[in-house]
This record gives sequence, C-alpha cells and structure tokens, in this order.
Amino acid sequence: MKVIFRIFLKFAPLFLFVVTAHVVTTAQTAKLQLDQLDVLANRATETVDVKLDEHLMATTAKFFSGKEADDAEIRDLIKNVKGIYVKSFTFEKDHEYLPAEVDSVMSQLRGGSWNKIVAVTSKKDGDNVEVYLMSIGDQIAGLAVVSMEPKEFTVVNIVGPINLEKLTQLEGSFGVPYLNLPPPKPKSER
Amino acid sequence: MAKIFTLGAAIVLAVFMPFLVRAERDGFNETVRVIEQFYHVKHQSIPVLARAGMKAVKTAAKIRGGDYKKLAEAGSVRVAFFEEQTFDSHGEIASFKAAIQNALSDDWSALVQTLAPKTEEQTYVYVRDAGKHFHVLVITIEKHEATVVQATVAPEILAQLLKDPDEMGKALTNEATLSDP
Repeated sequence: MKVIFRIFLKFAPLFLFVVTAHVVTTAQTAKLQLDQLDVLANRATETVDVKLDEHLMATTAKFFSGKEADDAEIRDLIKNVKGIYVKSFTFEKDHEYLPAEVDSVMSQLRGGSWNKIVAVTSKKDGDNVEVYLMSIGDQIAGLAVVSMEPKEFTVVNIVGPINLEKLTQLEGSFGVPYLNLPPPKPKSER
Repeated sequence: MAKIFTLGAAIVLAVFMPFLVRAERDGFNETVRVIEQFYHVKHQSIPVLARAGMKAVKTAAKIRGGDYKKLAEAGSVRVAFFEEQTFDSHGEIASFKAAIQNALSDDWSALVQTLAPKTEEQTYVYVRDAGKHFHVLVITIEKHEATVVQATVAPEILAQLLKDPDEMGKALTNEATLSDP
C-alpha cells in the first residue's frame, strides 16, 4: 500500500498537469477562432461582429438583479456563460462568399469534440442552418450555430453551458440574431 | 548611495510606467487621430450646430423598453465631431478597422463592430475596465459625418446596455450629443 502511495505521490504533479491541461484545452476549444472570416468584410454589404467575453459576462451578470421585468430570466439564461461571439456577413448578390472562405470555421466544427445536433436545409431558398454542441462528460461546454444563406453567412458561438432552448430564448439579445431554429423537442415524460 | 537611488528610480519607473503609458494612450485621442489620418478629415470638439445655441445635455436614454435613465457618469463624456466631410475608405474598410484596433491599447475590448462599406456606415463599441466602472468608447461613421464618444458608465448600466449591443452605441452617442429641445 505504501509503495502505491509513494508512486502516486511521485506522479501526482504529472497527473495534475495532465488534468489541468485537459481542462484548459477543452475550455479553449469551445471558443471558435473566427478572425479568419474578417477577409469577407470588404466584400460584404454589412458586417456585424459581437464579442462578449468571459470577463465582461462575469462582471455584468451580477447586475441583472431582477429589478427590471426580464432581468431574472436573463440572469438564469446567461448564468455560467463564458462568452458570446457573433459574426455575420450580408452580401449584395447570391454566392459572393465561397465555401472555402468559411472553411476555417467549418473545419473547427468538423473535428474535435463538436457534434452536429441540428441541420436544416432548404432546397428552395438555399438556406442551411447547422447547430453544433460541444459536451465534456454530461456538461455542455459550448454551442455553435452556422447559418449559410446565399446572401448571408452568420456564425454564433456561445461558450459555456447552454442548450438549444436557452439559445432560442437568447435570440434578439446580447447580439444573438434571430436564427429561425426549429423548436426544441419536448422532453419525453416517463 | 547612487546605486540605491538608481535602483529606487528603476522600481518607481517600473511600477508607474504602465499607468503613464496608459494615461497617454487613453483611447479617445488615438481614435480621433486614426480617423483623421485614414480619412484625411479634421475633427471639431463641439458641433457647429451646437455652437449656435448650446443647451445643457439632459438627454436620458431608454434601454430596451426600460425606464429612461442617464447612462454616462456625470462629467465623464468626451466627444469629437467630424461634420460635413467625406468619409471614403476606397474599399479598404477592413484596413480602417484594423488601424483602430492597433491604435487602442490591449485593455480595450471590441464589443460590437458593424461595417457597411457601400454606405461607409460603421459603428465600433469598445469597453475597458476603469476600477469600479467601465470606460466605453463609441465610434460612429457615416458618409459625411462621424462621432467619437468616450464615457464612463457604471457596471449596472453596462449590463443593461449589453442586452442590446447593437443599440448600445446609438444610446450612448445620442446621450452625449443631443441636447434637449
């Protein structure tokens, strides 16, 4: 038993380092790198870029005290949210952006711990909305929505524990645009 | 003795230099300078119209259906106007965005940026910590005019403004620039 304890003590720093590194890495990866999209700004007729980082969210969240009618609801919605990042590009003509130009974002979502949970495609309008979720164990680490329309490309990235239902409630607030997402499925009763 | 003095001076410089640099690079002046250099325009500290009959600024903004309230802390507002001038980035609006970003020190966080190259309409909202408060810098540019507003806001006001970041810049700029009829 002593031998096991000694071995554990010997490797404890290494174990701690591996666990910390894993936590840090996974926390970072829920935040997508979106800056590569900025090249689209010169061609787009309108660009919207919203960045609400962890520090800002944490500092201001406590001031949703419930004095205003919807403050309590907002406080619950953004509780533990570590960041909200939105980039949206609107173009004058159809297909002014190429899939390759947004691949920097899509490639991040294809790999790693992201799972596509919703995909809505409209053949008529050419609209394509995909929702991705990153989970670590049974905890949601982040969510990403990519909306590709012929004249518009939008990506919303929320870091922290948020589900589709909460995201729908956030539409129109904190820079999150209306995404026309399908309503979340009701929870099955046991 | 000389060594102690030199060491003491070095420590004092090391401690206070970041604050001195920060005071020099306050964000407002750098932003105004970048606009002037990039667009070849000149700012006015007080709008031409306001000079004719300026009244006390008592405007209070309404945030997302709430009560009308004062946003900026008293005496904290700085405003620079660019009126009746032409703003044309010649298709290089992204370069201007980058120039603003480079001019501001790292403690400023870009909160909202909206660009419309065709109409040259741009809004930038930057925020930084200021002790118990926040400094908010709002840059609004249109085809023939621009405004730079820097104000200090309380965190509870910032929280309310964050509910609608797109409107945040407008609300602060209106409060800083509109006078009561």
